[in-house]
Formats: sequence, C-alpha cells, structure tokens
Amino acid sequence: MFRFDPYSPAVDADPFPFYKTLRDEYPCFWSEEANMWVLSRYDDIVAALNDWETYSSAKGNLMDEMPNRAGNTLGTTDPPRHDRLRNIVQFAFTKKAVEGLVDPVRASAKRALDAVRGEKTFDFVADFSSKVTVDVLFGLFNLPRENERMVRDKAVLMVQSDPRTRQKGPEHIAAFQWMGEYARELVELRKREPGDDLITALIQAEVAGEKLADREVQMTITTLIMAGIESLSGFLTMLALNLADHADARRRLAANPVLIPEAIEESLRYNTSAQRFRRCLQKDVDLHGQTMRAGDFVCLAYGSGNRDERRFPAAHLYDIDRKPKGHLGFGGGVHACLGTAFARLASRVAFEEFLKQVPEFVRVQDQLPWMPSTTFRSPTRLELAVA
Amino acid sequence: MAKVTFIEHDGLQQVVDIPAGWTLMQGAVQHGVAGIEGECGGSCACATCHCYVDEAHIDALPPPSETEEQMLDCTASERRGNSRLSCQIRMSDALDGIVVRLPEAQS
Repeated sequence: MFRFDPYSPAVDADPFPFYKTLRDEYPCFWSEEANMWVLSRYDDIVAALNDWETYSSAKGNLMDEMPNRAGNTLGTTDPPRHDRLRNIVQFAFTKKAVEGLVDPVRASAKRALDAVRGEKTFDFVADFSSKVTVDVLFGLFNLPRENERMVRDKAVLMVQSDPRTRQKGPEHIAAFQWMGEYARELVELRKREPGDDLITALIQAEVAGEKLADREVQMTITTLIMAGIESLSGFLTMLALNLADHADARRRLAANPVLIPEAIEESLRYNTSAQRFRRCLQKDVDLHGQTMRAGDFVCLAYGSGNRDERRFPAAHLYDIDRKPKGHLGFGGGVHACLGTAFARLASRVAFEEFLKQVPEFVRVQDQLPWMPSTTFRSPTRLELAVA
Repeated sequence: MAKVTFIEHDGLQQVVDIPAGWTLMQGAVQHGVAGIEGECGGSCACATCHCYVDEAHIDALPPPSETEEQMLDCTASERRGNSRLSCQIRMSDALDGIVVRLPEAQS
C-alpha cells in the first residue's frame, strides 16, 4: 500500500521517487499522514493555481500553518482583498525596484567569500548563503543591525515541523512567535520614525479606504523575512548543491557567467526549496476518479509538477540548456512568489562572485542533513571542498 | 478548450488549444510560444507577457485591473490601445478563435 507522508525524513531527503508514483499511479491522492489531498501533475497544479475561487488560500498556504497567521498575509488572503494588498507591496519588488540591490549583494558575497579565503572546506549554508541573505534582507528593509544571527535562526526554525508528532513543535511555534514579536517592534519603531521603506509604506497604506490592521502589517513583514531569509538561502544552497553534483554545468558557468541565469531557472525547476504549498477547497471537485470535498485541504506539490515528464521531457535530468519556462519554482497564478525579481537578481550576483572565487568544488558529505519541513526542502549544512 | 492564434513579431504563427480556466500566458508558455516570457509566474508583477489582442476579441475581455493598468505602463515594447498582460486573461469558450500578436521585446 503506497503512502505519502510529507513529515517523513525519507521525503525530506528525497521526495522525487514518491512524486513519480503519485503522478503515475495516484494523481489525486489522499494522504492520511498529511490529512489532505495531494496533486502532483503539472497540469492539475496549474489548473488549481488559476482557480482561486475553488482552491482558496484563506485558511493558510503553508502545509503546516502557524497560529493566527492565515488571513493576515498576502499568501493567505483571496482576491479581491489580496489584489489590493499585493498592489501596495508589489512595487517594492519589481525588476526596476530591485536593481539597486546589485551592489549590496555583490559586496555582501565578497565579504562572505573573503572570510573563507584559503580554507580547504567550508559550510556553504553557514559561511555563504545565510550570511548573504541576512545581510541583503536587512539592507532591503533597512532593519536595525542587531540580532541578525537570531533573526536567521528563528526564520529557519519557524518553517520546520516535528516528524514524530506530525505538527509544529513548541520550538517552531516559539520561533514564529519570536518573529511576530520582532515584527511588532519594527512596526512600533517605524510608527515613531517613519522612513522611505516598505514597512513604513505598509503602515501608511490603505486598502479600500482602510488602513491595514496591525496584525496584517506584522504578519506580512514576518512572512517577507521568512521568505527573504529562509527561502532564498535554501534556494542558493540547492543551486550550490546542483553545481557540486554537476561539474560540467558548473565549469560552463564559471567560464561563461552569462549562463548563470539559465542554471538558476533550471534549479528552480529541478529541486527548488519551495516544494509544497496547500489550498482549501470551497466546493466539491471530481478529479481522476476521486471526489474531493468542500473544506478538504489540498497539497499542490510544485516540486513534483516540475518533474512531470508530461510537461518537461527527461524531467529527472539537470540540464542548464533546458530553458524551463512555466516552471513552478515560484508557484503560479495570483499567489506566485512576490520576490521573483529579487530572488533571481540576488542569486545571479551571489553566484557570479562565488564562481569567480570558487570555480572548482566538490561536496564533502555523502548524506546531507535535510531540514525537517513539510513545505520547504534544503540541507541544513552543505560542506564543500575547494579543489 | 479555446483555439488561440499567436503571431510573433517576425510573423511566425502558432495555433494552440488552451483549456478553459488556464491563462493565456500559461497556455503560451506550455506550448513554447517564444514571444511570451511570464517571468513572475502570473501574478501581474513583471509585464513580460505583454500582448496585443485582436479587435474582434478585445471587448470580450474584462477591463484591466488597477494593477494590470500600472504594469502595462512598464512594458518593454510600445503600449497600444489593445495591449494586455496575457497572465490576466483567463481562457473560456467565449475566447475561442482569439488572435494575439506579440511585441518585439518583453524585457
């Protein structure tokens, strides 16, 4: 009897064989462990992403939602309120708006690389991806330069779940609450001292003639910090892993850095850190011979849709020449990732610098320690040996 | 399913079927239409799925939202009266036969 348990360490480590069985044999699967349906084929996920009236986000979008978060963030609100809220935030994240980050990302990457210069081995997570993402995010939001390490640790902890109890443990909830409190203090600070920054813009913004509630501002900031730090560093780490495992691709990038964006797109498809999100059904849906009921939760397994051979030929191969337009690495539809332009730019600049200084590297660990998370996937350490 | 004709800037034509409920952008990307990029994934945040909709169908579309209006001012190629972002056009039987011309550049 096939089972799919997104809490299982086996799924954290390698979800792809499970995904293949799901796509081929159980395209509309009820997971008892997750207590929700799982959609795994590209076409089904795209159809669900477009149909927000049926596949609602208002009851949360993370596989394991955090207390009193749903309804207070972009990703957990449906249109039309979502669209108005997004309209306010979006302009801070357009391609043009993030262009100014090229120099800060480059400077940050150089600092991190200087610190490991001469080392034979280092941990890509602690020594590079964490440092750069924290640095750049603090700059982006103009956050006070204190608690940087703590913010990073909490952002990483809050997205995790406990594999034994199959829910968030007290340490994960506490991390989320710490971040909420941190965001609340930032809001208080900006209320006293408004600036030319996104937090001030959120505080002052009006949606349909109403100011955002404090909880909405606070939870939106919490989510942006989580995404900007945890998701982005998770992605950078997966990209480094792919380049360690695919030496030919890495050598091509090092020799010709204009190819870096191609590797970024293929990594977003191949094994992006954002693996699974969820929706809640607003009406009964019949799919592949199953009836999903109104009120049921549905997991959209982006990581599986991205490996669907029906959409991407030879999907199991990492191929930087693929140009995988339409991949689900940033989700899709009205809730597609807000930070796409920021993530692409930061990843490109960070790897331009990284490959300049470290063009040859191999991975040290055979088995990687994977973060226990039902939503995201990346290793907590990635030791690289410089060749 | 609705039949859509995409005409690239260089005149190359491609006729594809797009299921109801999908967006025009997703259908284009799925079928490898080169002139549509769709960088932001369909959230109306990048203006790289800009297209010109034929006169016969432009009135069948709901008017652009405030966000789409603002993003249409950020297109790489000239904005015209029939400019739309294809990620904001949701396919239905009413759009069967729509003809979409693509701009010279998306970014």
